[in-house]
Amino acid sequence: MSELNLKALAAAVAGAVAVASFAAPSFAQGMGDSKGKEKCYGVSKAGENQCASANGSHSCQAQSKVDLDGNEWKYVEAGSCAKMGGKIQAFQGKGTPMKKNGG
Amino acid sequence: MWLETQRAFRATVTGVDDAIAPQAHSAHGTLAQRVAVYRNTVQQSLIDVLASAFPAVQRIVGVRFFSALARDFVRSHLPDVPQLSVYGVKFPDFIATHKRLSDLQYLADVARLEWARGESYFAADAAPLDLAGLAAIAPERLASVIFTLHPATRLVVSPHAIHRVWMVNQPDVVDVPAIDIGIAERVILTRPHYAVMVRLIAPADAAFVAALNRKLSLGAAAGEALSVDPAFNLQAVLQDHFIHGTFSTVQTE
Amino acid sequence: MNASATFSLKQSPIPAAAGIGLRLQHLNEIASQADDAPPVASWLEIHSETFLNAGGPRLVMLQEVRKRHPISCHGVGLSLGSAQGLDPAHLKRLAKLFDRVKPALLSEHLAWSVVDGAYLNDLLPLPYNDEMLAVVSANVSRAQDFFGQQLLVENPSSYLSFNASTMPEWDFLARLVQNTGCGLLLDVNNVYVSAANNAFSAEDYLASVPSDVVGEIHLAGHSIEVEGDDRVLVDTHSTYVCDPVWGLYRDVIARIGARPTLIEWDMDIPALSELQHEATRAQAVMDARQPQDQACVA
Repeated sequence: MSELNLKALAAAVAGAVAVASFAAPSFAQGMGDSKGKEKCYGVSKAGENQCASANGSHSCQAQSKVDLDGNEWKYVEAGSCAKMGGKIQAFQGKGTPMKKNGG
Repeated sequence: MWLETQRAFRATVTGVDDAIAPQAHSAHGTLAQRVAVYRNTVQQSLIDVLASAFPAVQRIVGVRFFSALARDFVRSHLPDVPQLSVYGVKFPDFIATHKRLSDLQYLADVARLEWARGESYFAADAAPLDLAGLAAIAPERLASVIFTLHPATRLVVSPHAIHRVWMVNQPDVVDVPAIDIGIAERVILTRPHYAVMVRLIAPADAAFVAALNRKLSLGAAAGEALSVDPAFNLQAVLQDHFIHGTFSTVQTE
Repeated sequence: MNASATFSLKQSPIPAAAGIGLRLQHLNEIASQADDAPPVASWLEIHSETFLNAGGPRLVMLQEVRKRHPISCHGVGLSLGSAQGLDPAHLKRLAKLFDRVKPALLSEHLAWSVVDGAYLNDLLPLPYNDEMLAVVSANVSRAQDFFGQQLLVENPSSYLSFNASTMPEWDFLARLVQNTGCGLLLDVNNVYVSAANNAFSAEDYLASVPSDVVGEIHLAGHSIEVEGDDRVLVDTHSTYVCDPVWGLYRDVIARIGARPTLIEWDMDIPALSELQHEATRAQAVMDARQPQDQACVA
């Protein structure tokens, strides 16, 4: 510890603890608080995670028929990439041939 | 014998050939149409898993392009466990090296941010740091304490403006603005209580968290942060980390 | 009737009533209800592999849900038809979940999804012959030993048949029950779909399958896809149970009595109330049951 003396460090910790304890009692209470059923698990402010739709669910269903044509590569203009100022190499040709590719 | 049939079936449903054809038949219609139901299910269901794990990436390149990209990935990277919430960990690296994405250098890091978000969501539960316990530690010992990051804490550092790109590619954002992509950004993900929080943090703060993640003491980590930015404000930074649940325990030496 | 009489079904706290497949879209809604709110259905079923993560809100919500609902765990990734046997790591992951959830019923599929360590995320078909019977029997026994609980094995929906098959699916299932003491999860929609796709009689199937070990019934909707002169029923779980399947279900219940019956809906998932309405229909079938042998009793 070079730039910060012990006293300053201890004061910073104490100050942070005081403010955080006051500002965020619900976080400080920890897990396992199952009171207050009005809580919405994972629902959060804009820009944060929409946890309810997090990935990784299974099912027992089959998929309907899907077009396995390779022409999808040229559809990048439908994304937001171009609007944000990014670019992507346009794919020339008739689409990706479906080759043997056993994975 | 059956194992060989399984392998032929796998080759059939992950590619386009009909290796299984000599061993099966269809009551009516053609066998190829029946095989297509299994092929579509295997490939499309895994593409859908990737789309749900990387929604911003999908929005950036468009649904059709994403499907082609994900199909490329699925064929070369089948899941190795039957647990779809961990499928896609290699997708960011796949994006980084994909020849059609060489013009979108930032995309792999946006994917890393989205993956970190999923990891944070599914990480083990742990109580956040006990602030009363921390307050009880003698002041002269505070410099040598060691914080343990909460299991749900993740740090993503990028030379690109990934936080901004990610923010404007949320479902509720209608007008996507032009973005200066060349601004480096550092994002910390935490899960206080049950919701994942995604926060942009300063370079010195990122250095601080990275140092704590390497098990450096509080004093040493603060020193690293100060070497990145002499104006590093330890109290303000700690306060934010306490509020957002970055740490789970503190140990005294 | 058949030899399965020696393998009686283990007592289950899942009632012989209509349940609903619990999907992530409804998890928050159900978990957030008050502790004294009425249950949304007599019981709920989860896909085991969807809840294997270490922690996080999904498991917390599940714990809330199971306070008010008996839970059945329905597996989709064990791959009972794998020539290379069951994955010990996956058995452990599932056992950990079962320890948390204490499921009243455990089920898996007569299918495979894993080969050489790669998971194909589909319920892939098997030939029905002695070689396969030995493979599946060994895998089912292994799973039951590992979990210390009986497994219900579900008949799959299928789109093709193997040339190497030597017996119908119902005989294969009856012999699997004999070999392992497992129970059956009878998916009536899958019988209907497979019968249409593979040109056998759904009525014959349902009359032949060992009914006294049926511990659970599944009902779901399917799609019909026409390509050229082929008409394929695809088990999409994306819509209401169709009328012919309701008819088959009514016949099954009349013959074997009420069983835990699940409404499955996996794609284009509607509001919870729609699923509850489908469950009500299944419950009505069970409540209105006229046992076929009742006339003889008097």
